[in-house]
Amino acid sequence: MRCSPTTVTEASNVLGNDVQVFKANGVESDSINYHQWSQWQLLDSFLPTGGFAHSYGLEAAIQSCFVVGLEDLRFYTLSVLDNTGSLLLPFVHAATKSPNFDAWLKLDRLLEASLTNEISRKASSSQGSALMRIAASIFLEIPSLKKIRESALISGNCLFHHATVFGLVCGLLGFGSEFSQRAYMYMATRDILSAATRLNLIGPIGAAILQHQMGGDAEKLVKKWMNRHVEDACQTTPLLDVIQGSHGYLCSRLFSS
Amino acid sequence: MFITCGGEGSGGERMGETGFAAVEKIDGKSTVTRCFSKYPLKLIIPKKAGSSTSDAVWIFSLSYGGGIVSGDRLVLGLSVGDGCTVALTTQASTKVYKSVGSKCSEQILEAKVGSNALLAVIPDPVTCFSTAIYSQKQIFRVSSDSNLVIVDWITSGRHESGEKWDFDFYKSNNSIFIGNEPLLVDSVLLDQKSSPTVAERMKGYQVVAMIIIMGTKLKHIQDQLQIEIQQMMEVYFRPTTVRKREMIPDSGNHPSSPPIFASCSAFGPKVGVVVRILSTRTEAVYDFLRHHLRGLEQFLGAPPYCR
Repeated sequence: MRCSPTTVTEASNVLGNDVQVFKANGVESDSINYHQWSQWQLLDSFLPTGGFAHSYGLEAAIQSCFVVGLEDLRFYTLSVLDNTGSLLLPFVHAATKSPNFDAWLKLDRLLEASLTNEISRKASSSQGSALMRIAASIFLEIPSLKKIRESALISGNCLFHHATVFGLVCGLLGFGSEFSQRAYMYMATRDILSAATRLNLIGPIGAAILQHQMGGDAEKLVKKWMNRHVEDACQTTPLLDVIQGSHGYLCSRLFSS
Repeated sequence: MFITCGGEGSGGERMGETGFAAVEKIDGKSTVTRCFSKYPLKLIIPKKAGSSTSDAVWIFSLSYGGGIVSGDRLVLGLSVGDGCTVALTTQASTKVYKSVGSKCSEQILEAKVGSNALLAVIPDPVTCFSTAIYSQKQIFRVSSDSNLVIVDWITSGRHESGEKWDFDFYKSNNSIFIGNEPLLVDSVLLDQKSSPTVAERMKGYQVVAMIIIMGTKLKHIQDQLQIEIQQMMEVYFRPTTVRKREMIPDSGNHPSSPPIFASCSAFGPKVGVVVRILSTRTEAVYDFLRHHLRGLEQFLGAPPYCR
């Protein structure tokens, strides 16, 4: 069942608020269901974007004893989510709203300048490149995705940063920026807690419990930081930037960042 | 002995500016060609700040009464001509007093740095007092062969009297542009209304500093900084075993947190380096700056942070 992007965008933007509205309209509800499959695929850690290689600075935080137990992990995760909101959601939002080559390239360059630590910058670029490649291969119904990727590769000065690629993909798929921002925050929570289990800080069940408990906090942060302008993007926890940037000083490490 | 910048109306000031200085090469020497300042900003330019062999112009930026009062707005424009060398500094830490009527205190610097020029912005730290509201914006428009040193730092407050991260709001933005292209854009926002609180986010650290160094003239300083920070920090990272973690309760303000915690990253991609530091003591950061920026003496005529 295919629908024009406008209809899907409108539908998807409101999706989080009230799905019941659309049950009355068979056409739109079919589109919502159809697009949910793509949304779930985008959020599934099964999607091969290499996210498993990054710990958002958690490994460095553990090795320098800033994160030792469960409460530390909760606090650390909250700090990362807060920073994701303040620094990255504006880029996700802007890229979703303007999913075209020129706007996206400009955002990519601004994000490159805004990620002040090298480790986070490289992690963002490598995850974003992988996401762009896989999205262009999967979502063949959006030929502009492949075209944009090819143009960016030819231009030679695109870093394919994760937040802006994610925003672009969501925008082109018609998912709307409420979805893309909330989803981006979800992925950050997912990835940090996944890293925490692989670093043996918490077991898989404990991580699942913590993920559910933190859902409320994550939602509050989404509401706090969503729909802001990229000019207002900022960091809120300098210590986090230092910890993430110090990953290169670890002599033995499991993760790339 | 000093050039004291003229008051209002004496330098062709732009709208809203409370100070402006232009430095250009005259007869092969960096020379102040225009200068003005008005309340609440005062600019002082000693005729001889460094050694007589150096070509640097030192500009001291002062606020009346030694601090910035609620609602004050200090706007400084600076133009560093091709090949010139300028150091912009302060005489003491900048105190930001408590906010009255929720008014914000603001400092804005807009600097243009020419080809092969060097601008070193090397102030003492900003200290925001309890309930202060402060915003700072520094914009640098540079050429691809400009050289720049920016030190931007803040202490937690009057920590001897127990004021630690007790201000209401602090925002600092540093942006470097080459033409219209952003090279580095950093904004730090510390908002007391957030959760966790600012103090909780600082984990016992009392000073936050950022150092940006770019340009080919300063490559040796950049390289030294990267190597020495790596050496300094490596010792604090130890792969943990499960047993060690079981023995230690949650860290809180963990006693084994390094007294100075820093990381250094290249940017641009290889145009410069940016260092972010947290420290438990202001003096430790002064020592750090003195040590790592001593290489600027050959350009500025005097080493930064030595008094």
